[in-house]
Amino acid sequence: MRRVLNTLRDGVGFDTLLVIVALTYLLLFAGLPLIYNVVISFQHVDIFSLGTLFHPSAGWENYTAIFTDPLARTVLVNTIVFTLASVALQFTLGFAVALFFDRQFPGAAWIRGLFLAGWVMPGLVVGVLWNWLLSGDFGVINYVLEALGIIDDPIFWRSDVDYSLFSVILANIWYGMPFNMILLSVGLAAIPDDLYEAAELDGANVWQRFWTITLPMMRATIGAVLALGIIFTLQQFDLFAAITSGGPAGSSTVAQYWSWQLSFREFDFGRGAVISVLMIVVVLAVALIYVRSTRAETRL
Amino acid sequence: MTPVWQDRLFLAIALALAAIYLFPLYWMYVTSLKTGSSIFAVPPEFLPGAPQWDVYTGIWAEANMPRYLWNSLVIATGVTLVTAGIGAGAAYVLARYRSLWIDAVLFTVLMLQVLPPSLMVTPIFVGFSSVGLLDYPRLAAILAISAKTMPFFIILCRAAFLTVPRELEEAALVDGNSRAGAFFMIALPLARNGILVGALLIFMQGFGEYVYSASLIADNRLQPASIGMTNFMEPNVVNWNSIMAFAATYVTPILAVFVILQRQIVSGLTSGALK
Repeated sequence: MRRVLNTLRDGVGFDTLLVIVALTYLLLFAGLPLIYNVVISFQHVDIFSLGTLFHPSAGWENYTAIFTDPLARTVLVNTIVFTLASVALQFTLGFAVALFFDRQFPGAAWIRGLFLAGWVMPGLVVGVLWNWLLSGDFGVINYVLEALGIIDDPIFWRSDVDYSLFSVILANIWYGMPFNMILLSVGLAAIPDDLYEAAELDGANVWQRFWTITLPMMRATIGAVLALGIIFTLQQFDLFAAITSGGPAGSSTVAQYWSWQLSFREFDFGRGAVISVLMIVVVLAVALIYVRSTRAETRL
Repeated sequence: MTPVWQDRLFLAIALALAAIYLFPLYWMYVTSLKTGSSIFAVPPEFLPGAPQWDVYTGIWAEANMPRYLWNSLVIATGVTLVTAGIGAGAAYVLARYRSLWIDAVLFTVLMLQVLPPSLMVTPIFVGFSSVGLLDYPRLAAILAISAKTMPFFIILCRAAFLTVPRELEEAALVDGNSRAGAFFMIALPLARNGILVGALLIFMQGFGEYVYSASLIADNRLQPASIGMTNFMEPNVVNWNSIMAFAATYVTPILAVFVILQRQIVSGLTSGALK
C-alpha cells in the first residue's frame, strides 16, 4: 500500500494518474455517448421510454425512416451547400484580409486583432444580430442594397425559401472569417522574407510571387485551415436557431439542426440519433485528414 | 508614392475594412439606444439620437437579466473549473513524454475535439435522463460542455508546457522534490500564462454556450442568458431596441475582456490550432 502511495506521489504513478483522470472523464462523457448513440439509433426512444436505460429495439426502422423522409434530400443538399459556400467564402475573404495585413504598415497587427471581436461573440448573439440586420422591412442590409441600386424591392431573407439558407451562410461567413484570417496570417508570417526578395531580383511580379512562393509555402496551413473550417461549419447550430430555426418549410435545415429537431422538437430520439451517427462519421473522417496533415508538418 | 504616404493609405484602408466588419456590433449598440419608433425609421438613423438608457433599465428587470446572467456565470465557472482542473495535468504529461501510448492518447483527444455538440446532445440527453442526472440540470450542462471544451484545453495547455524546460524540473527532483512537487511548484507556475489564456477562452465559451443548455435545462429559473435571449425574443419580436439591449448587456463583458487581453488571446489561440 505504501509503495502504491509513493509511486502516486513520486513516480510514474503520478503522471499516469493525471492522464487516467482526464481520459476517464472523456470516456464517460464523450466516448460512452458516442457508443450509446449507435445503440439508440437502433431503438424506439420517445418521451415515454426515456427514463429507462433499455428501450424497445427498432432494427433498421429508424434508418429507413430517415432515408425515405421527404425532407432528407433537401437537408442533404442544404448541408453540402451550407458547408461548401461557408468554407469557400470564409477562406477566400480571410486569405485576402490576411494578405493585406501582411504588408506590415504601422498599426497593422492591432487593427487585425479587432476582427477577432466577431469570433469571441457567442454564436447565438451573432445570430440575433444578423436576424435584425437581415430583417425584411426595416433591415439595414436591405436599405443599403436598395440605396446602391442592387435590388429594387426588399428581400425577405429569413422567410423566403430561396434566401433563408443564404441568410445563415452570410452570418456564418462573418462569424468564421476572422478565425481563418488569423491562422492564415500566422502561416504568412512564417514565410522567410528573403524568398520574396530573391524572386523580386529575378523579376517576378506580384502574381508570380503569389503563385510560386506564397501558395506552395502555405500548403500545410491552407490544408489545416480548410479542414478546420469544414469541422467548425459542420458544428454550426446557434446561427440556425437564432435566424431561421431551419425554416421556412425546412428550406434552411441542415443535418445537425435536423438531428436536434427530431430529438428535441419531435421527441423521436432514435431518428435524431441516426442522423447524429451518420454526421459524426463524416466529421471524424475530416478530422482524421486534418490530424494526419498537421502531424506530418509539425511532428505532434 | 513615398513610403509614408503608402503607410497612411494602407492604414486608411485597414480602418475602413475594420469599420465595415465591425458594423454589426456598432448597429447592436446604436439600435439598443433608440426609441421604439426610431428603430423603424426609413431611411435608418445611422447615428444615435438622444440615447434611451431606460431601455437598459427596462429589460434588466423585465427580462430577468440578473438571474440569466448569474446562471451563465455559474455554468461558465463550473465548466472552467472542471476543464482546467482535470485537463491541465493531462496536458502536462502529454507534453513530457513521447511514446506510442502518448501518441494514441493525443490522437484520441484530437478526435474528441471535433464532435459537434448538436449531435452529441441526443445520446447525452437520453443517457443523462436514464441515470437521473437531469434532476441537476446545471450540473448536467456543465459535465456535457466540459467534455467538449476539455480536448481543446488540453491541446492548448500542452503547447504551453512544451515551452517549460525539462531541466528545471530535473533540478527540482535532484533537490529532493517529489514528482508531484515538481509539477505543482515548477511546471504549473512556469506554464501559468498559457493555462490562464486557455481557461479564459473556455470561460468565454461556457458563458455563451447554447446547445447543451437549451436541451438539458428545462427549468426556466436555471437557464443561462443565451436561452434567456431566445425566451425574451419570442414575445418581443418587434422590440428590436430591447433585444439589442439584451444582447449588448450580455456580450459587453466578453468584448471588454477581449479588448484588454487581445494579444494573449490571439497568440494562445494560434498556438493551439496549428500545433
